[in-house]
Amino acid sequence: MTRVVVSGLGVVSPYGVGAKTFWAGLATGECTIRPLTVIDTEGFRSRIAAEVPADVLPGIGVSSRRSRADRIALAAAREALAEADLAPRDRAEMGLFVGAVGGGMLEGEEWYCEEKSGRPSSRIRALRSILPVSHAETLAWRLRLGGPRETVVMACASGAASIALGADVIRSGATPLVLAGGVDAITHICFMGFNALKLLDPEPCRPFDRGRRGMSIGEGAAFLVLEDADHCRARGARVLGELLGAGMTTDAHHVTAPHPDGEGMIRAMVDALAASGRAPADIGYVNAHGTGTPQNDRVEALALVRVFGEGRVLVSSTKSLIGHTMAAAGSMEAAATLLSLQHGLIPPTVSLRDPDPEVPFDCVPGTARSVELGAAVSNSFGFGGQNVSLVFGR
Amino acid sequence: MSARRRVVVTGLGSVSAAGCGGSSAVAAALERSAETIAPLKAFTVPDCASRLAAEVDDEELMTLLNADTVRRLSRICRMAVAACRLAAEDAGLEGGARLGLSVGSEYGDFRSGAEFFNGFLRRGPGGLSPMIFPNTVMNSMAAVVAIATGAKAPSVTINQATVAGDLAVLRGAALIASGRADAVIAGGVDEIFLDVYRGLCALGALSPMAGGAREGCRPYSADHNGLVMGEGATFLVLEELEAARARGATIHAEMLGSAWGSIPVAPHTAPASRRDAHQTVRRALERAGVAADSLGRSYGSGNGDPALDDWELRLLEADGIRNPVSLAPLFGQHGGLGALRAAAGTLAARADGAPALVHGIARGGCRTAMVIGRAA
Amino acid sequence: MTQKEVLDELKALIVERLKFDPRRAAEMTAETTLPKGLEGSLGLDSLDFIELSVAMEERFGIVIDETESLTDEFFSLDSLSRFVLSKVK
Repeated sequence: MTRVVVSGLGVVSPYGVGAKTFWAGLATGECTIRPLTVIDTEGFRSRIAAEVPADVLPGIGVSSRRSRADRIALAAAREALAEADLAPRDRAEMGLFVGAVGGGMLEGEEWYCEEKSGRPSSRIRALRSILPVSHAETLAWRLRLGGPRETVVMACASGAASIALGADVIRSGATPLVLAGGVDAITHICFMGFNALKLLDPEPCRPFDRGRRGMSIGEGAAFLVLEDADHCRARGARVLGELLGAGMTTDAHHVTAPHPDGEGMIRAMVDALAASGRAPADIGYVNAHGTGTPQNDRVEALALVRVFGEGRVLVSSTKSLIGHTMAAAGSMEAAATLLSLQHGLIPPTVSLRDPDPEVPFDCVPGTARSVELGAAVSNSFGFGGQNVSLVFGR
Repeated sequence: MSARRRVVVTGLGSVSAAGCGGSSAVAAALERSAETIAPLKAFTVPDCASRLAAEVDDEELMTLLNADTVRRLSRICRMAVAACRLAAEDAGLEGGARLGLSVGSEYGDFRSGAEFFNGFLRRGPGGLSPMIFPNTVMNSMAAVVAIATGAKAPSVTINQATVAGDLAVLRGAALIASGRADAVIAGGVDEIFLDVYRGLCALGALSPMAGGAREGCRPYSADHNGLVMGEGATFLVLEELEAARARGATIHAEMLGSAWGSIPVAPHTAPASRRDAHQTVRRALERAGVAADSLGRSYGSGNGDPALDDWELRLLEADGIRNPVSLAPLFGQHGGLGALRAAAGTLAARADGAPALVHGIARGGCRTAMVIGRAA
Repeated sequence: MTQKEVLDELKALIVERLKFDPRRAAEMTAETTLPKGLEGSLGLDSLDFIELSVAMEERFGIVIDETESLTDEFFSLDSLSRFVLSKVK
């Protein structure tokens, strides 16, 4: 059976540019959720988010004529490819799987507002990058990628789904290499929508805390170079970790609420473990979906109890540090999980002060924890009950 | 080492300008070749030379749906639910943990996005409708179809211009081949919405392009001058062969082989001189074990967009394939069109025995190929 | 406002915001139950209730605390209209 390894990693996050910067932030447990600057938030209940810092964008190496999301995606993708150190011949075969939701909607919204106010907008070019597919179009061209290309829209699980499906394509023998990841930039529509649904905490989110009141929004991009293990060995490239298996399921229950028994979440984790040939006892750490909404965390905890047993695994939520990065979340959190395995250090659930007794796990409150890890799970449970669970090994 | 999982087509469901129904309705629509492209009824478009579209009849659509159950569903979601239920009924298929979904779309639910945003523009934060927000994410169609059909295996949504339906069918077949599902309802959906129509007009994508004469959909013709928008939802039921046989399903045809790849060109361009280093069609034929000269029909994604038509013909010629058939004049360009091509390929293979090629190429270089033939 | 006036406004909101058929609204009375799972009710779920709350806040100029459990208040059109009246005063 084909084994899939990770030979490159690139991240643009609320900490700044680069996987090193990302890890440094996670390891020190710095919370990046702050008052929003990219959009006007007047009149809204929750006015904070984790933004990619304004001062890093000019130096990101991508033209400011591109959409914010395209810039972030391209910078992260380039870093991953640079690390993997591939020959042009390899890139010609390389697949591209991009998890996306918002696309270039931030710039599209500016066009729309101008149009509606009666002034024909000069920003019509924004329409060309408005859709989720725009990132893959830009990346494939700029990076000269000639293999199977797919833009996966799966709400909050998009970034994880792209990794799972990208790995499938390698296992099918269609190509030995796939660049897989996700991207999302702040948009008015996302900010307004989650506010309207009253799912946002006016303060930075507190996953698994008894007093948690909702999510915080974030933005960023992360890309992984997935590679056939034999192909990677043959070219003598460094392995950052292994994708042991992935599970994907659908709740088919409700458009916003998860199945109350976590039925789809449980199946996704069970399938992922089965595919990876690992038992729950082999897993030392679960990087949770952990949005901080009362409902998600409660149901996710139920599902974790069913799969691992109470207190039988360490859990933490990266969203406490970088917010919910939407389509990027699955890939950014996969990156965090890989780095945790590499460094033997689990990033904290930083805002956790009063653990919810309904969550019977050590959720690594406040500071990062040193733990020798063999394998870890990263979960992404999307809006609409679309679930992905990834199992990584060292 | 487990045996290769083979993928067959066991049902079809479609909602389009040519009508609604299962496999016999789709077959009839393809044979009739009726005039479905007509002046827009749903709205008027000021400041635009284009007037034509292939529109779905809303009254006919609602006869397929229970008004109470679909109360909250946006129009594009209703089309998707109607077509997927038609496909599932056509196949006699029930929901469960092994049924997946694969939905392709070019524009998604722009209507809901605009409605939601307009609430804010009119009345500020208090004017926002929480109920509409979930529809603004492109996977909302898959989410509601999963609930309507009980599909609990993966439900994937793919965004892509021109070949969204093709990609969704390929993705569905891949989900089965890799063991993530035993059946997948796979296809595409799009609706015609005023702001998108106007946007495409302003970008010069619609017929008659820049100073052109007659408005119309004339793929591969010397006088092609742009695309004509269509709308609708078309889905195939794809199934693992042994599972289909075990439940006595009608097997229309088999997905013998497929491939997809990229030609790395600048977004939105279709440079006729660029070749496909990935050799997508050759790969698909090899996997199918079919030679180019033993193909029956070939279906192409050419839709009247001059640069795209020309590029496709050049690429196919290099693969030894001539005279592709376009379904755009029948149904208009929309996310369901690629699935209609796959449906047509299925019906052609079933009827005349020779395998069909379903080819797709989009501006920006996303390329797809599937070979559909009789299940041996 | 009288309870009848509030009731009529609620029916209008249910049509406009929850997309119910106007003919169905004409048949609704104060006794009509709302939540999903009750026989003969309008079958409203959590998403409907959030939408209805937001619409009520805007239409009646009231504030509804979403952290409060309002199961009793959202039981029927009668209980809901009384709830609105209590907030408006």
